[in-house]
Amino acid sequence: MTSCLKTRLGLLAILFPLLAAGTMPAGEQQSPPGKPAEVEANQRFFESNIRPLLAANCVKCHGAKKQRGGLRLDSRDGLLRGGESGPAIHPGDDENSLILQAVRHQAFQMPPDGKLSDQEIAQLAAWVRQGAIWPEATPRITGIVDRREREFTQEDRQYWAFRATNTPPVPLPVAQDWVQGPIDAFVARNLHAQQLGPAISAASAVLLRRVYFDLIGLPPTAAEVAEFVADPAGDALDRTVDRLLASPRYGEKAARHWLDLVRYADSDGFKQDDYRPHAWRYRDYVVDAFNVDKTYRSFVQEQIAGDELATHDPAALIATGYLRHWIYEYNQRDVRSQWAHILNDITDVTADVFLGLGMSCARCHDHKYDPILQRDYFRLQAFFAAFQPRDQLLLSDPAERADYQQRLAEWEAKTHEVRERMAAIERPHRGKVTAQAIEKFPKDIRPMLFKMESERTPFERQIADLAGRQITMEQVNLKMESKLTDDEKQEWLTLSKRLAEYAQDRPAAPPTAFAAADVGTSAPEIAIPGRPELPIAPGFPSLLDPSDAVIEPLPELPSTGRRLALARWITSDDNPLASRVAVNRLWQVLFGRGIVATPSDFGRLGTPPTDPELLDWLARRFQGAEWRFKPLYRMLLASATYRQSSQSHATEQGLRVDPENRWLWRMPVRRLQAEQLRDSLLQISGELDLSASGPGVDAERPRRSIYVKILRNRRDPLIDLFDGVDNFTSTSQRNVTTTPMQALLLMNGPFVLARAGELARQLSADPDNDQVIQQLFERILSRPPLDSERTEFARILATSPGRGEAIEDFCHVLMNSSEFIYVE
Amino acid sequence: MNDDRRWPAPAPYSTRREMLLRAGAGFGALALAELFSTRSTSTAFEVQRSGTPAGQRPGPPQRAKSVIFIFLEGGPSHIDLLDPKPTLKQLAGSPLPASFGPVITPMGEYDAPLLPSQRTFQQHGACGAWVSDWLPEIAQCVDDLCIIRSCWGDGLNHSNGVCQMNTGSILAGRPSLGSWVHYGLGTENSNLPAFIVLEDNPGKVINGPRNWSAGFMPAAYQGVAVRGGAEPIQFLRTPESIGNARQERRLDLLERLNRQHMRSHPEQSELEARIRAYELAFRMQASAPEAVDLSNETAQTLDLYGISEEPTAEFGRQCLLARRLAERGVRFIQLYHGAGSRWDAHSNIEKNHSELCRASDKPVAGLLKDLKRRGLLDQTLVIWGGEFGRTPMSEKGDGRDHNPYGFTIWMAGGGVRPGVTIGATDEIGLHAVEDRLHVHDLHATILHVLGIDASQLTYLHKGRPERPTINEGEVCQKILA
Repeated sequence: MTSCLKTRLGLLAILFPLLAAGTMPAGEQQSPPGKPAEVEANQRFFESNIRPLLAANCVKCHGAKKQRGGLRLDSRDGLLRGGESGPAIHPGDDENSLILQAVRHQAFQMPPDGKLSDQEIAQLAAWVRQGAIWPEATPRITGIVDRREREFTQEDRQYWAFRATNTPPVPLPVAQDWVQGPIDAFVARNLHAQQLGPAISAASAVLLRRVYFDLIGLPPTAAEVAEFVADPAGDALDRTVDRLLASPRYGEKAARHWLDLVRYADSDGFKQDDYRPHAWRYRDYVVDAFNVDKTYRSFVQEQIAGDELATHDPAALIATGYLRHWIYEYNQRDVRSQWAHILNDITDVTADVFLGLGMSCARCHDHKYDPILQRDYFRLQAFFAAFQPRDQLLLSDPAERADYQQRLAEWEAKTHEVRERMAAIERPHRGKVTAQAIEKFPKDIRPMLFKMESERTPFERQIADLAGRQITMEQVNLKMESKLTDDEKQEWLTLSKRLAEYAQDRPAAPPTAFAAADVGTSAPEIAIPGRPELPIAPGFPSLLDPSDAVIEPLPELPSTGRRLALARWITSDDNPLASRVAVNRLWQVLFGRGIVATPSDFGRLGTPPTDPELLDWLARRFQGAEWRFKPLYRMLLASATYRQSSQSHATEQGLRVDPENRWLWRMPVRRLQAEQLRDSLLQISGELDLSASGPGVDAERPRRSIYVKILRNRRDPLIDLFDGVDNFTSTSQRNVTTTPMQALLLMNGPFVLARAGELARQLSADPDNDQVIQQLFERILSRPPLDSERTEFARILATSPGRGEAIEDFCHVLMNSSEFIYVE
Repeated sequence: MNDDRRWPAPAPYSTRREMLLRAGAGFGALALAELFSTRSTSTAFEVQRSGTPAGQRPGPPQRAKSVIFIFLEGGPSHIDLLDPKPTLKQLAGSPLPASFGPVITPMGEYDAPLLPSQRTFQQHGACGAWVSDWLPEIAQCVDDLCIIRSCWGDGLNHSNGVCQMNTGSILAGRPSLGSWVHYGLGTENSNLPAFIVLEDNPGKVINGPRNWSAGFMPAAYQGVAVRGGAEPIQFLRTPESIGNARQERRLDLLERLNRQHMRSHPEQSELEARIRAYELAFRMQASAPEAVDLSNETAQTLDLYGISEEPTAEFGRQCLLARRLAERGVRFIQLYHGAGSRWDAHSNIEKNHSELCRASDKPVAGLLKDLKRRGLLDQTLVIWGGEFGRTPMSEKGDGRDHNPYGFTIWMAGGGVRPGVTIGATDEIGLHAVEDRLHVHDLHATILHVLGIDASQLTYLHKGRPERPTINEGEVCQKILA
């Protein structure tokens, strides 16, 4: 143990590679000189004995891929630098070199799978004793083939997702009487090839309920059902679709899918799980974007680079909230790692959401299945290198801004003296708090915090901002009164009162966006971890474009323009991924499963498209419609494919050939999503408050779920049990589970009981039992009761001791029923 | 339930289990366990299952059937409990010698004087394990314990640390270890949840229920918080305003409607699953209150756990509940002690740890003794530990800061070597230096004891085969019996 202690002496910087880089320059640690012949012999000894030994036994866990114990044994530098337990070698002294203690099973037992032979140990010892000579020409042992060292294969280049989209010919209809349009022609061709046929058209009430849930996430009301069923016109459903697409409810429903993808929440999601008071503006932005059918191109560009678009449109700034949904811990002194996590998170989500590429594998190594290099991961990350969280004031209107600033200046002038005096009293106490807060940070971070902003490098600005948030929190949490001396306190309280007298003169704080911007016009360097010597410039996946991305400078803005370059590339017509990914997500919303069943993974670990031509045809169609979703919805909802029944006349054949219904021989049945379930129950009981937008509310309020606060660590039990997303990572497909816990919640939970009670109260007012039963079915199941149901319910009602109780039982039972929970 | 007609074609999913989970409205976990008791389809992502004879399973032999994880939340001080450091006495009052290298601690008192333990340590049992006078009862059990003094993790603060100890990652979003175990092994008692969490201080655990969330796996695998009393599980009880007779009428009518609906939709397998979910819920309503009812336990048993006296009564009940749940086949039981970071002794560690040890020592020892005398310890893995340890440097004079670089946990029971102390921290207890055991290694070892090879248990998520130890973690052979 003492030897352990000894080996650490004087190596303060081991755990801090960045410091170490400064204190231990490689140039001063060169191999000792010697006579040329001796050097050559030593090198030969290394190459024939030591390099193979290290390569075979050590570098798997202590090399480029893994650094167990923070240790790398794939270079002399790595051996000297060592890991958490100290340097691995002391050239010239094998006894005190950890690597020998380890292979001799003195300090550690290495390698873990079996001791080296005595001969190998002796060779290693001799090598260290002789000064650990390592030929400079080959400084590193590379175990794994680095993909950038070879060409991508033809197969990589031909992979369907990376090929440009084309417009395939629409197949000639094989079932002319069924096919309503191009989509049906594709589907009919596929069904025909599988010797399957489509199901008949769904009944109109079923279709109506389906369309309502798919477009607005709510069931039709009894009146809407009645009106629709009574409408003889052939285009009744088309008109309904148009009406629903124009309804503000449409954006509220469509936004939910997007928020799943970007892991939107109203809280930090860490220990404190602090509320994010301004995040909701981003949610409103998304709802609104769908409602106005903003082009997907603008939608993407605004989210990634709304600030760099410089449109003076507050919406574009709010949209950059996309860059802020990572989880955040205010109580984290290790701000370097924290920042790295944030950048990784943004990189992962961006690849998932817009490109449908699971790139996180490539963070640590070249992707094992897809042609994505580790370098590509950091090329993508480099677009975000200069990013900085910003809480932007939204004052786009110059007149408004001038007015605000003028009124603020007036208030400041009036209160100048009071505030100055208060500040003087507070200064020593605040100073102390700040000093204490800074002290908590690691020693290498503190100097960055003391610098003036103008002296800081871009990276230091990012780190100082992150750390500064914690310092600000300490100031906010400071209870000034408790810190003051009695004398100070008296004066301070008097001054506070005087200040309060001017409160009404102070202009209300303008709205703030939870947004992002760049730290300046130059970006900190991005490098693969452990390879700081190789800075990485922004670039797209190398397979598609191996050159560095061209970044147009933005003369008017203190911004790099990097994110805008990325956003423009994603939304260019020749990007093979973005439009395919977008239309596939829409297809999934309507058919339960995408043409590519893994909507955020178009790689080889995902599922190939059932019909790549249909996917391309839709992608091109989407581009042709200015990247807007509503025309696509109209087209899909008008198809015979969508209007099929969920019950096939050839179920057995279908289940045998295609049990997953990949070819759509019927319409899949879907369970209501958690939010749809909650919203529907509120609507059915007549309690749903349809007011839109604004800060999130508590789940007790009868607003639509999209407007309920999402607190990551305190999830609403209904949302939780019915597979709502956790909002920690991007979710492209919700799980669908059926559990006894759901049954308990629906049977005994107060929320459902209250809705049943309220509906029963309303229904009971009608003395006519038949009317009650009619209403019951129409309101909950959006259809009239069958004769058999009418009879049975009437019988129960007639024989029940309490009419009100029986009606309440009915309401509660139907709210629990499978027919209500599923959409056909 | 193994009706082949319903799924006539081979499932193109990675596993049959995955297909059932993901296809349409998948089955609930409890129903699943039954479905999986006998059949399988073998593919690259095959998971291990219970009910398969050990010889046919590719993984290690199953040595324990269930886990009781006693989580001392906030970070108990290893150097004051199980890892004595005499050198600290010599260095008392001096700053951390530079030779130990700089470490990041959350409160930043990097140069604060070293604080030796005020406790008296003694060797106990035949194995001679060192235990401080804060844990006199656990000290009597040392011959059953495998004490690991060389744990380390990546979580510097509570949120990170608790998250990693539960999920392997310091960042939220991954399934909890209990979820993985449930996924990998299914359940042995479909009338109770397979993964149960008991909190001594309900609602206060750092990070909240996301510690036992299923992350990206289906919600069916998430832990269920259970409390003592009449409603051990949320929404378990029929509301009094409804009453049992009326509830039965409702359930009857519901079943009739659901069966009618199922008959007219024969192709929708999920409709039967939903009916079964209600049946299982009904059975749970009967089973769960029985499981948490301590009224039939003998006075002697209650005494053993310290339930008849203060301040051990509260946690004694939790520990006894844990035994009852393990006895009933619950797979993974997690007990939080000091929920809300109560072990977080940044100042006055003497008072803080005295009280917490006093309240938990006897209940924990009682649990070990009780499991042992009932022959349950052989098939139950008991784990005791927090999210990290504490620094040898003082904080605020008489407290200690977080130390994820080296800390102690112990394990006992099925598959674990009894009466040994493994690994070591450096002379002052700052870094683990010998037989270093990362949280991933710890998880891999726990899973190994349960008969699961962590590298073989996968769940396909967003195109990545996810593993419980995030492709890291090695089984620590020294821990295994």
